[in-house]
Amino acid sequence: MFLINKYTKHLIFHIDVNSAYLSWEAASRLQQGDSLDLRTIPSAVGGDPETRHGIILAKSIPAKKFKIQTGETLFSARTKCPDLVIVSPNYPLYRQCSTALKELVQNYSPLIQQYSVDEFFLDFTGMNNLFGNPVDTALKIKEHVKNELGFTVNIGISTNKLLAKMGSELQKPDRVHTLFPEEISKKMWPLPIDELFGVGRATSQKLRDRGIKTIGDLAAQTPAYLERFLKSYGTLIWNYANGRDISPVRNNKTIPVKGMGNSTTLSFDVTNQETAYLILLSLTETVTTRLRDAGFCAGLISVSLKTNGFVFCSHQKKLYSPTDCTSAIHEIACTLFDQLWQGEPLRHLGIRLSELCLNNFYQPSLFEEKLEKQRLLDKTIDTIRSKYGSKAVFRSSFLHSGLSPIMGGVIESEEYPMMSSLL
Amino acid sequence: MKIYMKPIELIAWFTKEGIPHPIKYKIQTEDNSQKVVKILRLLARTEEKIAGNRMYIFKCEGNINGILKIFELKYELNTCKWYLYKI
Repeated sequence: MFLINKYTKHLIFHIDVNSAYLSWEAASRLQQGDSLDLRTIPSAVGGDPETRHGIILAKSIPAKKFKIQTGETLFSARTKCPDLVIVSPNYPLYRQCSTALKELVQNYSPLIQQYSVDEFFLDFTGMNNLFGNPVDTALKIKEHVKNELGFTVNIGISTNKLLAKMGSELQKPDRVHTLFPEEISKKMWPLPIDELFGVGRATSQKLRDRGIKTIGDLAAQTPAYLERFLKSYGTLIWNYANGRDISPVRNNKTIPVKGMGNSTTLSFDVTNQETAYLILLSLTETVTTRLRDAGFCAGLISVSLKTNGFVFCSHQKKLYSPTDCTSAIHEIACTLFDQLWQGEPLRHLGIRLSELCLNNFYQPSLFEEKLEKQRLLDKTIDTIRSKYGSKAVFRSSFLHSGLSPIMGGVIESEEYPMMSSLL
Repeated sequence: MKIYMKPIELIAWFTKEGIPHPIKYKIQTEDNSQKVVKILRLLARTEEKIAGNRMYIFKCEGNINGILKIFELKYELNTCKWYLYKI
């Protein structure tokens, strides 16, 4: 089918689970003896409207025919399709499926990268000597996943990660696509501009305003022109549109963390400062535990909020000396919150720590409180929590408050692979 | 055979390698009485990993109401639960 010399360069596979959350839920239900396959009817995985996590997270292919979109509210989805079956998300199940897929994929190459909970890059360079034709191997992987794990995947094959990812998006479900550089003009350039990796709502609007409607249009521009309104990002997506990308398939452990954050959508509107402080504290608890776990101190703290009118804003502060202390970070977060909050009812609060540096050397400041004791206390609390569970010790201020002392994260206090905009 | 998938109480013996061999099971029938079925013959054992959840499937033969019948049992490794899968 293809000439072998095509494969002398890098060969990258991108493996993407079709409607991941929904497929996994469907496969699991079938295994538990359910006679109905969710994938064959209009169905969706959505949050719980009671706690106001009421958006569509994934949908079945029959649901797509009703123009139901990921991210829209359950209410608007039900208006489009009254018979829509909505199931609640089950994150431990998703992680279990993701781990099983990772173990299976590892049989085909020593170098794989988990890109998100349902996406993997696999470096197949040189592996064709062992497995033979890459397209046949991809088909074999696809069937292997379907038979053993009970869900379908799309696999894109190309010479770099970007093209492999674009390839796996071409036609779904249960397909293998190639998107080699010589196929770009035929397979990728006719696609609308928003299909390109890295072009989201904001960028696609800017490009459309200037008459750039397809990926081919973008590829035909000069980088100098794009840089006039997109800065250096213009050159990046221009390279992407031409299928150029040199990012290696990374072993996941080497990805540098740039920041850590936790946020939560609340089940009620927060109207007083005291409750907001408590919520910030419980978010801080989660995020600082992660920070200390990874061995970092943070030099920048940022607080974000969303009002009941869906107005989003954030505020940040740079620290003179980086810290990893829960109380110190919470105190600054509260100050930031006070400067930001105008008294509107709040539905969403978040905290983010960045400008990370290693915590093996700590420089205390002459003009700040001594935090040595606090740091020791934090360390002890972390140890107790990791041994006896995250709720083994918590602050008494949470007693009778009705709030969870530890908030944020899909599976609280456990790592869960997230999406990234970096290839 | 039809999919039944109901939890059951079961007695089994395990090999040194950790493979269970079902001996007999107890199930609650529709008229709320308990019924014990002895496994007379183990025909096959397969493993599945659907959605990453490991389960052993046993194809067995037993005497149900005086008739020799073939049925399938499932053992969920994660939870150590037994199910009457198909009958």
